[in-house]
Amino acid sequence: MVGLSVGEKHFIQGGIAQDLRSDGRKRLTYRPIYVETGAHGSARIRLGATDVIASVKAELGKPSALQPDKGKIAIYVDCSPTAAPMFEGRGGEELSTELSVALQRCLLGGKSGSGSGIDPSSLVIVEGKVCWDLYIDGLVISSDGNLLDALGAAIKAALSNTGIPKVNVASETSGDEQPEVNISDEEFLQFDTSGIPVIVTLTKVGRHYIVDATSEEESQISSAISISINRKGHICGLTKRGGAGLDPSIILDMISVAKHVSEQLINKLDSEIAAAEANEEES
Amino acid sequence: MRGLQLPLNQTQRIRLQRALEKLHSLSSKANSDASVTVADTIPVNYDDAFLKGHGTTDLNGELVATVCGVVERVNKLVYVRALRARYKPEVGDIVVGRVVEVAQKRWRLEINFSQDAVLMLSSMNMPDGIQRRRTALDELNMRSIFEENDVVCAEVRNFHHDGSVQLQARSQKYGKLEKGQLLIIDPYLVKKSKQHFHYLEQFGIDLILGRNGFIWVGEHVEARDGMIVDQANNSEQSTVEKDQAYTPLEMRQNICRIANAVRVLSTLGFNVDADLIIETAELSSSLNIDIHDMLGSEFHVLVAEREAERRSLMTKRKR
Repeated sequence: MVGLSVGEKHFIQGGIAQDLRSDGRKRLTYRPIYVETGAHGSARIRLGATDVIASVKAELGKPSALQPDKGKIAIYVDCSPTAAPMFEGRGGEELSTELSVALQRCLLGGKSGSGSGIDPSSLVIVEGKVCWDLYIDGLVISSDGNLLDALGAAIKAALSNTGIPKVNVASETSGDEQPEVNISDEEFLQFDTSGIPVIVTLTKVGRHYIVDATSEEESQISSAISISINRKGHICGLTKRGGAGLDPSIILDMISVAKHVSEQLINKLDSEIAAAEANEEES
Repeated sequence: MRGLQLPLNQTQRIRLQRALEKLHSLSSKANSDASVTVADTIPVNYDDAFLKGHGTTDLNGELVATVCGVVERVNKLVYVRALRARYKPEVGDIVVGRVVEVAQKRWRLEINFSQDAVLMLSSMNMPDGIQRRRTALDELNMRSIFEENDVVCAEVRNFHHDGSVQLQARSQKYGKLEKGQLLIIDPYLVKKSKQHFHYLEQFGIDLILGRNGFIWVGEHVEARDGMIVDQANNSEQSTVEKDQAYTPLEMRQNICRIANAVRVLSTLGFNVDADLIIETAELSSSLNIDIHDMLGSEFHVLVAEREAERRSLMTKRKR
């Protein structure tokens, strides 16, 4: 990332203080979001110059012994070296791990799977024996700030485009044997994505919060909070980044601002995803 | 033309296509034969002796282009000038650069060239304005003039023996740029003109079109006589001042509008010059388009249509 001079930093801070950022946006305005869905469970999201792709794969697997009635979901993010020069070689690994962990926390809830945005009990086929393993992969192609929000939106779009094949289980088998399963090639179950949360990242610069920071603005952050909120307005996950400490009242304030912003974002995202899928069906 | 990253709905796509086709047909016919892509044969009279220049290669006895660009012929030299290349400096060009290193008696600036440009301490006016020999103390105080990551405006003085560029910033209008934003566009969009410094009076904004594709849009600063001599007080004062004095809102709106106008023009691939920028900014404010909406697809299509009309009027007037 290119450094900024003192004068430019001051200009950016002034803009945020006066509610007019460098590209004319208000503090709580998102950049235009462009959604493209591909075949079967993949989506590409462009947020300004930030470009990310998410894809979903499903495999048959065995549920863990601790939670026999739930499937497994794994999220992994990779930062491509083309995104920024510092990602070359192993440079992007730290950021990839940070993003993966943040996404898991925001979308998958706690270790026991409780409070998860994506319901893992819908993935089980035979309790204790067979379940679906979902592998969600994110790829960052170009980075211009606000990667977490973009990845969250991409995962939501990819999941809405995912069809899980219907599985016919063979007749009852005794306790320890693996049951026979028949994976149908024709029938698919669409994943229910109305409950999937979106991630809203609020960045605190000086005394004000902004949404959807570009990488220039991100160089100025004192702290940032990423909140995943679902359609009902419930918080599914929360991550704080940045070294500066925050007063609890400020955090509560940021949460309420995020809730307000998330309503518009969810509506916008849903309409864009629907439009993208309609486009895809035409072509 | 180049694939735009904007999502356009059906009607917008058609309108944009029409506007671009109109512009294509208006551009002079001679050039349309000269543009080549990789592996195109270059039309040359093989009987004449000619020299193969950059961007060409001999393949099976034919002259073939290796880059996408325009064929240029100078006497016997045939070469292909690539469009999306890095900036190619010429002596006397005005450039805007960012300081990457403070070295011995010089600053290194990044100017979108294959090498970093060099600005010698001796090519820079001293803060006290006196013409004198640079002492060791001046060298130690270089950071008080320019630091790393500062944005500087300078002029190309000459080429070093190893191909790198030397800059000079002796006149009052060159120097550090603050209170604004830097935009980066492709260098080929900024053509050489008489004026690269523009003071837009109606907006109160300085617009500097660097030939290397770095464009500076910022608050107007009067040509300074030299900085305050007392360095220590200066830095304290300036931080205190800066806390209180953010750019006023109206000027900031103008800066953002002009910056977005530059972004729109560069996305569409039009040559960026001051008149066109001002026209685009005025078009957006006359249509009451919100500053942020200037980066949306609708405004891009409008600008393309406007430009097509303007050029067709110009050619009609010429005839």
